[in-house]
Amino acid sequence: MTAASQGAVGDLAEDVRSAHILVATGSGGVGKTTTAAAIGLAAARAGRRTLVLTIDPARRLAQAMGLDGLDDAPRRVEVPDLPEGGELWAMMLDMQTTFDRLIDRHATSEENAAAIKANRIYRTMSGSLAGTQEYMAMERLHELHDADEWDLLVVDTPPTRSALDFLDAPRRMSSFMEGRLLQLLIRPGMAAGKGVGRFVGAGASAFMRVAGRVTGMDLIEDIGDFFRNFEGMYEGFKQRADQVLALLREPTSRFVVVTSPEPPPLREAKFFLERLEKEGLHAAGIVVNQIRPELPRDPTDAQIDRAITAQTEDRDGQAVAGALRLLIDVRNVAARQRRDVSAALYGVSVPARLHVPLLAGDVNDLAGLDRIATALTTGEGR
Amino acid sequence: MDTFTNPSGLAGFDEWLSSHVVLVTGKGGVGKTTGAAAIALAGAASGRRTILVEVEGRQSFSRTFRTAPWDYTEREFRPGLWGMAVDPTDAVYEYLDHFYGLKRVQWVMEKSHALDFVTTAAPGLRDLLLVGKIFDLEVRKRPDGRRAYDLIVVDAPPTGRIVPFLQAPEGVTEIVRVGPIKRQARHMREMLQNPRRVQATIVTLMQEMPVRETVEGVAALRQAGVAIGPVIANQVVTPRLQADGSAAIAAMGRDGLQRRIQDAGATISGRTSDLLLELVETHRAQVEQQDVLRDELAADCATPVLTMPLLTGSSFGADDIEVLGDILSMQVGEDGPHAREQLGDDDVQLLIDSARPAPGTDA
Repeated sequence: MTAASQGAVGDLAEDVRSAHILVATGSGGVGKTTTAAAIGLAAARAGRRTLVLTIDPARRLAQAMGLDGLDDAPRRVEVPDLPEGGELWAMMLDMQTTFDRLIDRHATSEENAAAIKANRIYRTMSGSLAGTQEYMAMERLHELHDADEWDLLVVDTPPTRSALDFLDAPRRMSSFMEGRLLQLLIRPGMAAGKGVGRFVGAGASAFMRVAGRVTGMDLIEDIGDFFRNFEGMYEGFKQRADQVLALLREPTSRFVVVTSPEPPPLREAKFFLERLEKEGLHAAGIVVNQIRPELPRDPTDAQIDRAITAQTEDRDGQAVAGALRLLIDVRNVAARQRRDVSAALYGVSVPARLHVPLLAGDVNDLAGLDRIATALTTGEGR
Repeated sequence: MDTFTNPSGLAGFDEWLSSHVVLVTGKGGVGKTTGAAAIALAGAASGRRTILVEVEGRQSFSRTFRTAPWDYTEREFRPGLWGMAVDPTDAVYEYLDHFYGLKRVQWVMEKSHALDFVTTAAPGLRDLLLVGKIFDLEVRKRPDGRRAYDLIVVDAPPTGRIVPFLQAPEGVTEIVRVGPIKRQARHMREMLQNPRRVQATIVTLMQEMPVRETVEGVAALRQAGVAIGPVIANQVVTPRLQADGSAAIAAMGRDGLQRRIQDAGATISGRTSDLLLELVETHRAQVEQQDVLRDELAADCATPVLTMPLLTGSSFGADDIEVLGDILSMQVGEDGPHAREQLGDDDVQLLIDSARPAPGTDA
């Protein structure tokens, strides 16, 4: 079955050969990690030195890539029969390490860095501040880009509540840092000084009294302390966030939006594509994962119904009846998936729209990844 | 019902839905939201005053049930079934208003981005507020002294986040050493660790990764002192052929199968016949894997496994969730009129039978 007959257009072959950054994104559970790994493998097979940056790989996928454990340092994946120059590497994002390095780089002094790292707000913040993981993924991406050792960086994004969090992360981080409340915590006097600020300042100090009463004043002090230590770093953070966005806006940085054929992830995928366009970012394509291959329409449903009734009561007759019921089940699901996909992506224009067929069992070896890689780069679903 | 036996071992609604709160969790993409909706419909069908609570702001329920978007107001969208979406921002305002009469603070907080701080910077505070709202629903009484809701079904955060979510009260007590939050956090913890008040149910697909994550999730939740309800296996394929049937088809081969179908008056090409052979083989492997994984789940989680079938209708909507709710109910020995009407008694029987644990694995 060709891609064209499935209604899919284009493929990722050109992106795999020419992009410098490919970001796999989409809602949770749609197969982003596997898609990112397959893209990485395809690029290595195209002769490029490729690194896949993953967030939380399924253990068996890591094993499939010959890696018992992944950590913050890139590791070489043994792939037989790669052409000259083709290499596949993989690594896992380590939030704390990346965050610590970021602090070291931007801190005004060693004491300053040490004070931040010892603060209990800092220690709990890395896991809880919305968007931190996304931000750190982007931060690590930029570091790897700066290192200038890779032809292609494939990024698997974190399983965020919404795929959009990922795009907002750098901006949210810097606007959070600039937030008036933080200013107030750091310099209460100044924020309360002028105009509307006086109102807000007065109210905010009422808020601070309440917050202190509710949570205990030591928490407020800790937070103030943390952000005072952080103060000299805002500018660096902000610049970095801008750099990350600029890097993502380059024409060689492209997004691969991954979805399953179910309506909720499809909706997310569409929103995300619209966001990309609005932000001036580049979509490489959309991948509809684990879709059931379409089946021919023969026999008709009515014929099947009649044929089921006509079957004998013996084992063979009942087996044929069962097989025909199965045919109807599968045909219905395949048709429903196609309808859901077309309805959700109606009017969406992307360079490539790919269907990756449902493979029997989990993908847990290079052969499985190769099959997906082929589907992604040739549009051949089967 | 005499025809349909009860495969779960749970004695009806009274045992299955014995807790006041059911927290529904699962790995991303497994149908956690569908599971929560099906449980809520079953709860309402059982005569319980039921509320379905969304905490992650996706508006999935309002889409499925074709209602106006859900918000912080509890609305009865079907007889005996209420729905609300809890947003931490609203929870902050309600909290401050309730405990401090601080309506006027709201304006100030909006202006000063104070909520960015409250809900994101202070660790776990956001989750604490969400759990606090569930607590509030659970302890609330009607004027006659009965509980406001008999059953609260929460579409909770996914498995990876559920334990930190539930431990928010604990986490906060570590940071917040004094004050009312600390007291309330203790009450919340008592609720979460009382099996008559809270049970967690994990939804999974019958695939290796989600099943493994389910087993880990059950262990982590038990560790956190939360009672575990039945695991729900979603999108379970209805077995159309038994093992001997699959073998019979394989023995017929493409031509044999094609001939038998043509003899029954249907036109079928060699290519479709080939594909059908493939489908039968894939189906056999899938049903086999389902059985293996179901036994694994039952053994490793030490809890009943309920089944929600993969429905093969041409669309998926509120009616289908009603069918799924009925099928869950039938697995605990209750009736399921919608499911029987929509799918027919034969198919329902097939589903219920396939949900039965394999011989020898009875708990």
